[in-house]
Amino acid sequence: MRPVGLRGRVIAGFAAGALALSASMALVSYQLIRGSLLAERERTAVRAAYFNATVVNAGLIGDEPDMVEILRSLDTGSDRRPVLRRAGIWYARSADSGVTASIPDPLLRMAEAGTPGKQRIRADGQPAVVVAVPLSDSTVFYQIDSLQELERTFQTLAAVLTLVAAMTTGAGAALGWYATGYVLRPLRSVASAAQEITAGDLSARLDPASEPDLVQLTTSFNHMVDQLARRMERDRRFAADVSHELRSPLQTLAAAASVLGRRRERLDDRTAMAADLVTGEVARFQALVDDLLELARSDQPADRRPVRVSELARRVCRTRGISDQIIDGEDGTWLVDEHRIEQLLANLVDNALRYGGGPTAIRLGCQEGAHYIEVDDEGPGVSPEDKEVIFDRFVRGRTARARGDVDGTGLGLALVAEHASAHGGRATVHDRPGGGARFRIELPGCGR
Amino acid sequence: MTGVLVIEDDDRIRLSLVLALEDEGYAARGAATAEDGLRQQRHDPAETVLVDLMLPGIDGFECIRQLRRDDDVPIVVVSARDDTHDIVAALEAGADDYLVKPVAVKELSARLRALRRRGRAMADPVPSLVFGDLVIRPEAGEVTVRGRPVALTRTEFRLLCELAEHPGRVLSRQQLLRRVWEYEVGDDRLVDVHVGRLRQKIEEDSSAPRHLVTVRGLGYKLQR
Repeated sequence: MRPVGLRGRVIAGFAAGALALSASMALVSYQLIRGSLLAERERTAVRAAYFNATVVNAGLIGDEPDMVEILRSLDTGSDRRPVLRRAGIWYARSADSGVTASIPDPLLRMAEAGTPGKQRIRADGQPAVVVAVPLSDSTVFYQIDSLQELERTFQTLAAVLTLVAAMTTGAGAALGWYATGYVLRPLRSVASAAQEITAGDLSARLDPASEPDLVQLTTSFNHMVDQLARRMERDRRFAADVSHELRSPLQTLAAAASVLGRRRERLDDRTAMAADLVTGEVARFQALVDDLLELARSDQPADRRPVRVSELARRVCRTRGISDQIIDGEDGTWLVDEHRIEQLLANLVDNALRYGGGPTAIRLGCQEGAHYIEVDDEGPGVSPEDKEVIFDRFVRGRTARARGDVDGTGLGLALVAEHASAHGGRATVHDRPGGGARFRIELPGCGR
Repeated sequence: MTGVLVIEDDDRIRLSLVLALEDEGYAARGAATAEDGLRQQRHDPAETVLVDLMLPGIDGFECIRQLRRDDDVPIVVVSARDDTHDIVAALEAGADDYLVKPVAVKELSARLRALRRRGRAMADPVPSLVFGDLVIRPEAGEVTVRGRPVALTRTEFRLLCELAEHPGRVLSRQQLLRRVWEYEVGDDRLVDVHVGRLRQKIEEDSSAPRHLVTVRGLGYKLQR
């Protein structure tokens, strides 16, 4: 499972905190409000019960008082039902015996014994409070007040508090989202600066003044980039110095070898052979220096421009005296580094010339969103163990070793791989159907 | 007035180049410093000058500028430095070609021959080519802008003539490299920098050229 991101965790934390806080606040408020409202309602019920009891008591003075009439004379709302129990008989305003049945026995006994009391009950499935007021030895006045109205208020209150808690939780999550966004914003500027640096802009820096709390981060980031820039500059200068130091004596050697070559006929056999060796080695040394410098520079980003790669391939073939009829493929432009792709093509073609009896086909095209270049030859192919390492530096394939090859620098295919990866692509080698090797380069970025 | 002057501070390189160029049939001589080279060029001008960039005292770039100030002698840079910055700076200073050490003597010789050919008239000379206020007289080797003569180096002149021969047609950088510099495969920057230098001389506003225009992704063309 993918780990939850920082932002997700902060949002969850904020939401959980808000939920806990708002839920406990809601619960406490609910309990307090409910308690006080119920107490208030009970007090009202008791007051009314005593008042009504006084009225009933006054009506009972006669010998044969009409109980029902007395009860009916009471001013009660629809929520209040007075009943009277006299000598074990229940009297009510109307036939609502169900009400009397819901009065609990302990309260009954207590009231019969002459102690007034009140109790919360459920009458007809509805919450209610019953108040018992003993009037005389055998008479007790009961008043049952329905709490239905109050119960509905509690339900509404609970619903409102739940909604508020949910909204608070949502607000907490939103706050978390905003806060992380706000906190992560400086990190995004770090990320974009890092991207700029990766893209080759070593002048990208962070402004330490923009976020005082992140001064440590910005300072160390800038310090790191300074160091990096200094190191890269040093490497670049080193490569330039090495190039200069190696190329200068090579120039002397090349010119001197040319003088020797021109006088070859006038030299005796042994001297001529030595002159040939010098000339040959100077050429190889020169190729080696060129490839090494190219390799040292190859980690720089590709300088992409629209390039007609088919034209590059034709040029590579033409300068090597190969027919450009072997080139097969699209004529469109690719967004690539012209110099690198030309060298890549040249190295593949040279490789085919040197070890594969010359290229038999060069295919250019677009497949699955990637440009591809394929160079086929009809040589002995590449053995499975060589396929693994053939793009490594200074590796010469089995064929090359068998032929005692000394012309190649051992860097040509390494450069091919470097140039491919500078474009975010890759280089592979396959068996060509019918024998020989097929080198395939894939460069992502073919549109449509 | 024939021969090649090699301005190179490294004694061995200078000596070997002089030897090799003499073998190729040039009257070559050397100068160890820019100062010496400039003096030799004033007193006994060579047909072509080879310049190294890293020289003690006056450096190669300044040396090129001073040589250019005096005349249109073809200048070829032969340097171990190969980064774009140096190449462009040397070409902007006025060099006609740029070769990175080590240069094969055959290649150097081919470059020098191409430069020498550049000085000659066009194969099929026409009296004059008119592009609005820009008038080119290939036979006389003259260019005037709004009636005023403009001094061009041989390479600049050859480049302008090549474009003028195909009015309104786009020539790619590689085509121009083949026709003007005689490179089978060459460095596009040679063309770009020379076009820039040419624009400064023939355009009223070189940042908004009217005659010598860039056709994006294709090359350059000359128009009225």
